[in-house]
Amino acid sequence: MRLPRRSLGLDRFSGIYLWALFVLVFGLWEPGTFLTKATLDSISSEQAVGAMLGIVVVLPLAAGVYDLSIGATANLSAIAATWLQDSHHWAVWPATAAAVGCGVVIGATNGFLVVKLKVNAFIATLGMATVVAAVQEIISVSQPLPPTSQAWAHLSGLEIGGIQIVVVYMLVLAAILWWVLEHTPAGRYLRAIGANAESARLAGVNVGGWQWLAFVVAAAVAGIAGVLYASQNGPSTTFGTALLLPAYAAAFLGSTQLRPGRFNIWGTVLAVYVLATGVDGLELATGVAWLNDMFNGVALIVAVAFAVWRQGKTGRVESAPSADSNSDSDVRDRLRQRSVRTMLTLSRRYMYSGQQRKPTTE
Amino acid sequence: MTASLVANGVSKTFGTSKVLVDIDLTVDGGSVHALLGQNGSGKSTFIKILSGYHRPDPGGEVRVGGRELHLGTVGAAHALGARFVHQELGLVDSLSITDNLALGSGFPVRYGTIMRASFDASATEDLAVVGLDVNPQMPVERLSPAERMLVAMARALRAEKAGPVTLLVLDEVTAALAKREVERVMTAIKTVTARGVGVLYVTHRLQEVIDLADEVTVLRDGHRDTQAKVSGLDKASLVRLLVGHEVAEPGRQPPPVGPRIESEAMTVRGLKSPSLHGVDLQIRAGEVVGIAGLMGSGREDLLGTIFGVQRPSAGSVAGPGFSICAGKPRECLAAGIAYVSHSRQLSTAGSLTARENLTLGDLSAVWRPPLLRHKRERAETLVWFRKLGVSPGDAVDRPLWTFSGGNQQKIAIARWLRCRPRVLLIDEPSQGVDAEARAGLHDLLLGAAREGAAVVTSSSDVEELVGLCDRVLVMRDGRVAAEVTERERTTERVTSLLHGPRLAGVS
Repeated sequence: MRLPRRSLGLDRFSGIYLWALFVLVFGLWEPGTFLTKATLDSISSEQAVGAMLGIVVVLPLAAGVYDLSIGATANLSAIAATWLQDSHHWAVWPATAAAVGCGVVIGATNGFLVVKLKVNAFIATLGMATVVAAVQEIISVSQPLPPTSQAWAHLSGLEIGGIQIVVVYMLVLAAILWWVLEHTPAGRYLRAIGANAESARLAGVNVGGWQWLAFVVAAAVAGIAGVLYASQNGPSTTFGTALLLPAYAAAFLGSTQLRPGRFNIWGTVLAVYVLATGVDGLELATGVAWLNDMFNGVALIVAVAFAVWRQGKTGRVESAPSADSNSDSDVRDRLRQRSVRTMLTLSRRYMYSGQQRKPTTE
Repeated sequence: MTASLVANGVSKTFGTSKVLVDIDLTVDGGSVHALLGQNGSGKSTFIKILSGYHRPDPGGEVRVGGRELHLGTVGAAHALGARFVHQELGLVDSLSITDNLALGSGFPVRYGTIMRASFDASATEDLAVVGLDVNPQMPVERLSPAERMLVAMARALRAEKAGPVTLLVLDEVTAALAKREVERVMTAIKTVTARGVGVLYVTHRLQEVIDLADEVTVLRDGHRDTQAKVSGLDKASLVRLLVGHEVAEPGRQPPPVGPRIESEAMTVRGLKSPSLHGVDLQIRAGEVVGIAGLMGSGREDLLGTIFGVQRPSAGSVAGPGFSICAGKPRECLAAGIAYVSHSRQLSTAGSLTARENLTLGDLSAVWRPPLLRHKRERAETLVWFRKLGVSPGDAVDRPLWTFSGGNQQKIAIARWLRCRPRVLLIDEPSQGVDAEARAGLHDLLLGAAREGAAVVTSSSDVEELVGLCDRVLVMRDGRVAAEVTERERTTERVTSLLHGPRLAGVS
């Protein structure tokens, strides 16, 4: 029964080592273009919105529920904010507030579906993502024009001490959520729910309430991230979907870093930037365009497979008698199984609903 | 007719403790042999040896249907025609009966396609063997508990290429069934024995032994205590066989010092659920109350239903300064009623650290906004570790699942002791805990009672209850049927009460 000591760190900090390795390799490979402030700026600011979404899915994940609607929510908020400025001549701040309001409404609806109607979170938020995409099409048939006001551009592009403000937002958000998750009772309750919802309920934790709150906060922050993305890159109608899976990839990858086995904020931020550094370096060095997807996908699978393998080595085998572990990976498995089982059960119910039970011999 | 099962000199040692010593047992073909024994007497170890799960100590011999069983090999007994049905029936609720029947032995196929029609027909036949007349297409989840049991039995008895079934082992299969349902199972077992199959029947219910069995073997502390023909035995004599003649009073801690506090702590009224039919309890501060009852008596659901693991259909909980509906965890906790489940899956979260599990019940002592004081939390956890003798003693930041079962249980209990509850409800307090740790846990519970908490504990282990509790309530058929007070508290008396009121005067 021996766990890896905290100081060992080869697995906890593998991301940091990998990062250093990337900087070294690409620095030697492309010293002229890679080791420049321009590269630093572009990596940090381009990834900031993606990192925000990665950070924010940690919240529902820690509470044991998926929120697959954050991508769509971010997209709707972006389109809503630009559309309000474009077609209705709203000012930047009210438009932004309204866009974030969209997020809150979506999050509250997610919470209602999952907590009150007991729809599996995976399915509820997947459905919600599709509904949100439809709403987005209703309000803007075509891609709206980017607002031209200075304030809109400054929303993400203002520089503070040489750093784009969107990076600062991301770091502030990360710090706040880190504080909530690691240093407040709220974070403790969310984790207790994620680790074992029924035992949390029996410990007096308001399981439904906290999950609801996690959905609302996740969607609201996704709304902010969406507005920032639109300010940064212009109002695309499809970026949300494209950011959803990378956000989850970062969160899962992050759960292998710093505090292995737990979804954690700084691990997620680290994951986002290690991947981005690798991809950017490779693209600079080779000029190949498909690297982004390939690199992200392979890194995610390898890192999580490695973490599972490590867990098997350090945990299960050596403490065989109490193998009733509830590690986060178990929770993930169970969530996945549960959603599949729900669908199976639903289809069975449907199939058998017509058959009446024969009277038994009593 | 050859004997279905002959066991000679079967022993099993775990580490240094002898769990089974030199067991001989014979089940004749076409007869029912009942296996009785208190908890921990070695019944389940014996069954697990037969099924090949445990390898017995060398020297013993087991023959199934006349052929020698290769001990310690999973599947060997199956090949010789032995079938096992356990209390957890191993049915997949959402699948149909036919699918469940086929799970063990496979579907009849032609060209890789399941032959539905002929399969359904054969399923109907299989079900007829156990006297079950239902549509085999029906999902198992819509069957009554007894019917599920019969499906499991039908599955065990299905003809297979491997050869005929010679021995059927039924391991406490009626434990969760109501009386009326048990009769259906009895009828099915009689049909089965009429076909020449020998049945080894493990049970706690003495009436079933009298109604059904031809022979009975009683195990006590791993020894075969008695083997007898059932004809001529009555319930009272079975109780004596089961408890033994020389029931030693288990050592009891000296009575609490100082005056007993005699104020009301909690009163439960009219608690109803599918397994409880109107339970009233009156618990006083400072006392330790035991709940005894056989499986299916409602005993195992009582405390969980008060607190809200299961939903009660009616019932209230009241005490000094509070009056709430039963079955609401947060309201119970607000009223000072805490609950430790028998299942660690319900009482703790394995992936959280020991510290996080311990403090989850009340974070106010370590929450000094804006931060949770981790250092203080660690120090407090260390104090509890030392108090309860949790080992390893400094591993407060390890995930809980890395601790042994007994230590997890201690941490689960410490979570609530730390909150100083008015009433502590605790199911199976020493499940999976070794003898030494068990004594430690008992001391803790008694200590909590001495400080004024009421402790209500439900256990399947009568000796534990008698040793630990001031009084013991005995449950039967979803009700509190009897109370054994401090003066008349003996294992024998409680055990006889478990089995029925007529025996109450016997001891």
